[in-house]
Amino acid sequence: MSKADFLKQFDSIAALFPIQGKARAAIHNGLDFPTTRDEYWKYTRVAPIVSTDYKQHAPDLNSVADFEIQDGEFKTLVFVNGVYNSKLSDTMPEGVEVHSIAHASGEAKNEMLEHLGAYVSDKNHAFNALNTSYFVDGAFIKVKEQTEVSDPIRILHVSHGEKQATNSRNLILVGKHAQVSFIHQFEGKENDGAFTNALMELVVEEEANASYYLIENEGEQTSHINTTQVVQKRSSTCSVVTVTKTGKLVRNNLNFSITDQGCESNLYGIYFTSDQQHIDNHTYADHQMPNCNSNELYKGVMADRSTGVFNGKIMVHRDAQQTNAFQSNQNILLSDRASVNTKPELEIYADDVKCSHGCTIGQLDEEALFYLQSRGLGKQEASHLLVRAFASEVLELIEVPELRSDIERFVERKFDKVDA
Amino acid sequence: MLTIKGLKASIEGNQILKGINLEVKPGEVHAIMGPNGSGKSTLSSVLAGREEYEVEGGEVNFLGQDLLELEPEERAREGVFLAFQYPVEIPGVSNINFLKAAINAKRQHHGMEDISAKDFMTMVKEKQALVELKQSLANRSVNEGFSGGEKKRNEIFQMAMLEPKLGILDETDSGLDIDALKIVANGVNKLRGEDRSFIVITHYQRLLEYIVPDFVHVLYNGRIVRSGDKSLALELEEKGYDWIKEEVETV
Repeated sequence: MSKADFLKQFDSIAALFPIQGKARAAIHNGLDFPTTRDEYWKYTRVAPIVSTDYKQHAPDLNSVADFEIQDGEFKTLVFVNGVYNSKLSDTMPEGVEVHSIAHASGEAKNEMLEHLGAYVSDKNHAFNALNTSYFVDGAFIKVKEQTEVSDPIRILHVSHGEKQATNSRNLILVGKHAQVSFIHQFEGKENDGAFTNALMELVVEEEANASYYLIENEGEQTSHINTTQVVQKRSSTCSVVTVTKTGKLVRNNLNFSITDQGCESNLYGIYFTSDQQHIDNHTYADHQMPNCNSNELYKGVMADRSTGVFNGKIMVHRDAQQTNAFQSNQNILLSDRASVNTKPELEIYADDVKCSHGCTIGQLDEEALFYLQSRGLGKQEASHLLVRAFASEVLELIEVPELRSDIERFVERKFDKVDA
Repeated sequence: MLTIKGLKASIEGNQILKGINLEVKPGEVHAIMGPNGSGKSTLSSVLAGREEYEVEGGEVNFLGQDLLELEPEERAREGVFLAFQYPVEIPGVSNINFLKAAINAKRQHHGMEDISAKDFMTMVKEKQALVELKQSLANRSVNEGFSGGEKKRNEIFQMAMLEPKLGILDETDSGLDIDALKIVANGVNKLRGEDRSFIVITHYQRLLEYIVPDFVHVLYNGRIVRSGDKSLALELEEKGYDWIKEEVETV
């Protein structure tokens, strides 16, 4: 299928904002979808995704009870196939303003348009351009200055219907001195063959503290491309934890733009793959100014014939003296046919910095397995114990207990099914 | 309890055990001594079921069962316990949770219900005292950051918790100072009983001053070349192993 034919299926979507017209022009003309000849996409082949006839189902879903996080009572915003559903959504706590991107009006709309698309480039990233061109709605969330939100806010996106294609677009502004956390859950229902192309811009203002948990669980037979662009202002803290539960092909681009001094940035992720899943995490920590810390820890467990990719780039610009940037990626392969490509990249132009990176690929420790067996644990049970122990370092960084338990349960279920 | 007949085993094509015969009756403590490379650790590994070793001949009968047919975890559940020469550090796995899982695996194997939380904690307290193991260690990850002595004490603690019928101590004395050695030996002595046997593998006589064996066997070049009572250990201490080697080679 040609690019023109692929794009044609979206052309009936009305453009709501001028940026959409520009992006359409770009993608219809010179901008092509990446191939494995592009370094940035070397290990992830997107051709099958961009040569499929998708559908755009009406966003009719009456209940989202299937997607609850056990014991979690979170204020939730619901989007079905990218479209805001006010009936299924909760009222937000005080100090948190929410607008549907499509229906924002007045001052809110002006503010939204000031930021929407201001932090991501459509120019050399076809999936960003695709998203900008054809998003139909999304969340615009504004946390007012000085607001401390005690419970996490949940953003639930449900992809509903076979071969559903959704361009999910979201913008979050966390005001000065505000403190907040978000659980962004991507789920699926009867959506084999679906494709979601999600784009989030998250702006963390001065001295604010934001945590963002990205939970990807759209289904075994789905594709998901996710770009999360974080922008940090002076002395802010931002943690992003990416948990990939399901998806046949998942590609995450997590970019931190660290624009001022005194910032703390945490990039954590965990992926468990089985069957023929392919999970790709690309991260970019862009240190532009001095005295900032970034910490990065990604862990993966791969079974069967699945594949994983990790590419973590740390950029330290000339002005970014006294940067501390640490990165680690650790992988366990549970099968001879599973594989992972991991690549740390450091680009440093300042001379007074501390940076480190490391990546490991290994199997479960045979000696530890035998030790556990010699005490009476069955091989499968011993393997699970070791996998859970391996994952626990990342899971412990999840500060929402209900979410952490949910993911622990998921890990157990997942590895009950695979031969370790 | 344990009968080993003509046991031959190799690793990566090298035959290490060349026909071991040994009979251990309930309540007995057998010491196996021998120079480096004589096959002591191979014997313990084969008995515990380490996969790297290939059994080439002979048989091992444990309480009426063919031990060699059982998986390592089945051997453990039937009552074999190996105290490792080099206990493994397992970050992220809590000592206590792992022990509870091990105890329950054994109980399930014997058709018993899981141990209650209360009984388990009572047991932990009691057995910790046996080897003077600090409570903080029991709650940490398995052996992670433990000193050499703490690791060995943790092995004996686990043994006490799992209440095996046959305890195999593989060079438990290596790397221990005299105080730690006494604590470990004391712990083992308290576990001795009519129905519980031990195989104590050691290079030096020193440990046997504290864990007094009923029998001493000398392993050399894959065979037991001499057996006797505890005085044999003293003789070895005095004369060294060369005397045995010469005698074997003359024959």
